[in-house]
Amino acid sequence: MTIAGDEPSLGAPDDLSPREREAVSALVRAMADDEFVLAERYTEWQVRSPTLESDLALSNVAQDEYGHARLWYDLLQDFGASEAELIWEADPVDFRHATLVELPFPEGDWADPILRSYLFDVYEKLHLEALEDSSYPRIRDRVGKVQSEETFHREHAENWLERLCADPDGRERVQFAADRLFPYGLTLFVPTDRESAIVDLGIRTDPLDSLREDWFAEVIPFLESLGIDLPVTDDGVVEVELPEKIGRRGDHTDHWPDLFAEFTHTYREMDLDEPPRLMEDPDDVG
Amino acid sequence: MSADGPEEFDGAADGETGPRYCTYTSYEDGEPVDGFPWTGPTGRGADENGVADRIADALDDVEDPEMPISVLDLGLVYGVTVEDGQATVDLTLTYTGCPARDLLQENVRRAVADVEGVEAAEVRLVWQPEWTVEMVTDDGKDQLREFGLSI
Repeated sequence: MTIAGDEPSLGAPDDLSPREREAVSALVRAMADDEFVLAERYTEWQVRSPTLESDLALSNVAQDEYGHARLWYDLLQDFGASEAELIWEADPVDFRHATLVELPFPEGDWADPILRSYLFDVYEKLHLEALEDSSYPRIRDRVGKVQSEETFHREHAENWLERLCADPDGRERVQFAADRLFPYGLTLFVPTDRESAIVDLGIRTDPLDSLREDWFAEVIPFLESLGIDLPVTDDGVVEVELPEKIGRRGDHTDHWPDLFAEFTHTYREMDLDEPPRLMEDPDDVG
Repeated sequence: MSADGPEEFDGAADGETGPRYCTYTSYEDGEPVDGFPWTGPTGRGADENGVADRIADALDDVEDPEMPISVLDLGLVYGVTVEDGQATVDLTLTYTGCPARDLLQENVRRAVADVEGVEAAEVRLVWQPEWTVEMVTDDGKDQLREFGLSI
């Protein structure tokens, strides 16, 4: 791990070289989209969670993730794009979130959002730690605030996992969710096409494959302690194949265009992409 | 809750059955950070005729949308500079998911732009140092207690 100050710091948004800018954009786009799409999915549980408290808790987690998405989209807006262009008017293939966060929930399966939150939030903690000494000040300055809001997300997920797994039926549900979601958890660690520049420039101080090892070292023992079977050999080798669709390079599952169409529906219906004209454009009048 | 206090929890707080007190009864305190927040030019009234003092007065009138406290007493203002009539305000928010982000930014911008001696105002959102309850001024803490928060 590099210590801040060892590496030359990158400059202000306008001072970046094309290579630096592309690396920052690729990293931040993936982070922002992860948070935004995960929050979109969480909101589907509003008024459907098993208790009012869990309803409020997950809504609150969703609100935080929207807030974090906004902080990261801000950094893309530094380069000239508007929020509308980045989200509501974007092409679905422009999104770089990992496919873990876009999957629909099996109807009524509370174990899924809980396990998904756990898998994602452990990843997010490790990923943010690797950004604490980022060479890009605009990233570095945001990490502390985001990290401080993440602790209770993990507590919430771990607490629910423990309670679900304390009972055979609940554990079976978590097991089903793990069979489905664990391979998708790996999509979080698939690099974008700018990974080498991201690491070489010190924008993230650890490569994704080393973060994946740290993630295995945390999530596997915890889930196994709850009685969940994971595809890991006795020697600790993880035997999982990556899902067909990853997300980080714009490849998404068939669920993604549907979700995108749904959350952009109101925007399109209001014709916000076509600003109202108060008068005819003088250039168009003969 | 009855006027005599939370009787319904009597005897249950230490029991195995029944409701338990919520363990999150206080805000997590942060550490005070030297030089933050900005509350005026080296203390209010130090520069009564100066533009920075007038900006502090203007910010004292910008209220948080949820609580009866000004953005200045809440400790959201991290810095103010004025150069050739161009004012720049560094503003933070209590949490990232604040749904009044645009509203607060715009209210602050307008309040500052209206100040005599300011031609134009810009608000920059900043996230360092992280806002905690320690950023609230002593006056602000009194106002929040009166409002019913335990800080």
